[in-house]
Amino acid sequence: MSTTTAERFGPAPPPPAFTVGWQGWLRMNLFSSWSSGIVTIALGVALFFAALGGVRWLIFTSDWAVITDRVPLYIVGTYPREYYWRPEIALLLVSGLMGMAWRTWGGPARGFAAAFGALVFVVALIPYQMDVLYRALLLAVPAAMAGGYYCAHFIPEQSRTKWFGITGAGVLIASLLVIAGFSLPGIGSPAGLHPVTESEVGGLMLNLLLAAFGIIASLPIGIALALGRRSRLPVLKFACVAFIETIRGVPLITLLFMSRHLLPLTFPENIDVSLLYLSGITITIFSSAYMAENVRGGMAAVSPQQSQAGEALGLKQWQTTLFITLPQGLRNIIPAIVGQFISLFKDTSLVFIIGMLDLVEIGRAGLSGKIEYSDNGMEVYLFLALVFWVFTFSMAYISRRIERTLGVGRR
Amino acid sequence: MMRLLQYQGIPLWRNVVFLQFTLQIVSAVLVVSFLTIVFTNLFREIDQREIPFGFSFLDRSTGIPIGETLIDYTPEDSYRYTLFVAFLNTVKVAFVGVVFATIVGIIVGVARLSPNWLVNRLALVYIDVFRNIPLLVQLLFWFFIVLALPPIREAYVLGDAFFLSNSGFAMPWVAPQGSFWPWVLVCALGLGAAFYAARVMERRETESGRASHSLLAFLVITFGVGTAAFFAFGGPLDVTMPERGAFERLSGGTQVSGSFLALLIGLVVYTSSFIAEIVRAGIQSVSKGQTEAARSTGLNGTASLRFVIFPQALRVIIPPTISHYLNLTKNSSLAAAIGYPDMVSVATTLTQTAPAVSLIGIVMVSYLGLSLFYALIGNIYNRLIRYKAL
Repeated sequence: MSTTTAERFGPAPPPPAFTVGWQGWLRMNLFSSWSSGIVTIALGVALFFAALGGVRWLIFTSDWAVITDRVPLYIVGTYPREYYWRPEIALLLVSGLMGMAWRTWGGPARGFAAAFGALVFVVALIPYQMDVLYRALLLAVPAAMAGGYYCAHFIPEQSRTKWFGITGAGVLIASLLVIAGFSLPGIGSPAGLHPVTESEVGGLMLNLLLAAFGIIASLPIGIALALGRRSRLPVLKFACVAFIETIRGVPLITLLFMSRHLLPLTFPENIDVSLLYLSGITITIFSSAYMAENVRGGMAAVSPQQSQAGEALGLKQWQTTLFITLPQGLRNIIPAIVGQFISLFKDTSLVFIIGMLDLVEIGRAGLSGKIEYSDNGMEVYLFLALVFWVFTFSMAYISRRIERTLGVGRR
Repeated sequence: MMRLLQYQGIPLWRNVVFLQFTLQIVSAVLVVSFLTIVFTNLFREIDQREIPFGFSFLDRSTGIPIGETLIDYTPEDSYRYTLFVAFLNTVKVAFVGVVFATIVGIIVGVARLSPNWLVNRLALVYIDVFRNIPLLVQLLFWFFIVLALPPIREAYVLGDAFFLSNSGFAMPWVAPQGSFWPWVLVCALGLGAAFYAARVMERRETESGRASHSLLAFLVITFGVGTAAFFAFGGPLDVTMPERGAFERLSGGTQVSGSFLALLIGLVVYTSSFIAEIVRAGIQSVSKGQTEAARSTGLNGTASLRFVIFPQALRVIIPPTISHYLNLTKNSSLAAAIGYPDMVSVATTLTQTAPAVSLIGIVMVSYLGLSLFYALIGNIYNRLIRYKAL
């Protein structure tokens, strides 16, 4: 006869009193030893005075007029007022996309979409001088989200991610076209939209546009470069290695500088490309070189038996890569990919070097523009930091959720 | 006809050798023709628009002043020399930045693993905040803070030796005298001897199993020789203190400008938040069984850390850290935004009087050289730590 531990020794005794309850928590985590206790108290006092100083500054000294006086400038730069409906249309398209993502992925996408919709809604309600139409378009964001959510309903569940990808790319390109209304040689501008000059696209909108463009384009280019680097064709391999290593070896701002002075010269004759696209291309190229190295690392971690198994099944080499090794390689590096997206988004602030007015540059110009604002650097930089942080941190958060959904590290 | 298209009985389009060969040629042709198109366009445009190009300007004099330099500089110096001065400025901020970023990164990374809740939460906040904000914003922020410091007249002074004001930071520094280089030589010899002695003692320790204090011996020999030689040479270094002079200027000691200070703080804070994550992951990557095994073979806490945990953690920590050193170096180019005269900001100033493409080309090649240097260090390290077959 076997007896359980509980039967032989009776019920387990309660945990020691000093480890339970909030006193137990304090003791274990803050005062586990003499040195730990001293550190806790010292840090606690320092934090208290820092917080006190911060609150006092916030209440008595800080003056946020430098930001509240010119909200549109921070959001869309010097975009012509009569065309505000265009970025708003783009915003509605993207909101629809978020609604789709909500239904497709649930979880992280839901949280992000809800937060974003609420934020836009609140911004639209701020009593700021704004045309009724523009305000109505902003208020329609939740409706657009609901629309996207409803549309996703008609796509069979298995192919939703695929369709989401296709629509997503379409929507983002359409947004870019609508916002910039750029004219294609020979075709003119889509739907006869008046093209907006490059210096008029600015503010947070410019950062988001560049980042969206770079994120869409840099992953496929990076994958292509990584595959080229793994290829057995020496010329192709050498070209990819040279490209990747050169781009990775120099700072982005020198590349941006070159994109202004050198890149246009390499295009065929009579093609004039706006600075907006040049900077977008440069940021994409820069990011794809890093992406290629990430992908290469992920592919290297896929065991060689996987591709042998593919061959044994009779798949061709490209099929093995596309359907077996690449997906596994990419799954290995989700954090690295999102990390690269985050640094791409942060890097969009560097376009100041070629004279574009992104969010940071607008903030800086705002400080030097009016004499009464020149002391408000603290407010401006904290605001800029907060805006960037909200975006980058939510990207990191979503990446962690995706990782969990795909079960990385649990198989 | 069919016979012609066969090789050893296999049709050409299914022959691996033939296909490989064709693909090689096709890829070569594609790459070469792409490059040809790009360069033809480039040269045509350069011709047509009469864009200045070339390197004949390098020996002309620049005529621009540079705020702070490591070596003597006057505006009459040539472009070549000016760019070199700017390069040294980049190297200076990168070197100091790498040293401090490593120290701060290790402290924050270890703090992240502290059992003290407050400490590890603070480390987490530090990492999550500074890693996710663009470096440019951080630099502008620190520069704003530095500029908001009081002027030299009311500078923060510590012990009449350290001055912090809105024009930068000054501290005591050493000035090499005539006997400086012989002293350095003797110190190097002392270091070599100490290294050798420590190796011998460690070998004896391994063989006999009796403890020897090799680290202590190493330090005693190194500093003993250094100090003895210092007095023997009659003071090869002279300590100079910063002093307030006329016109609110500081003289003596070493001084760095406000923009250098802001750039350094920004780079250190930004990079250290990345290094901290690497350090944390590195320490966590060593499995707990290793510590337990080390303790059960009789090593004490320090010894198991030194001989078992650290060597394995460093293997994980150092390669990505080196790539962050390179990132720091490249990020120092953001100095252009706050007016520290690094390579990029000097080169952009020079573009007003010389071909922009050539200048930035030189800058890019210099950065490539620096990144090769880091790659070299990384490769040497990787070779050193490779697991050797027993």
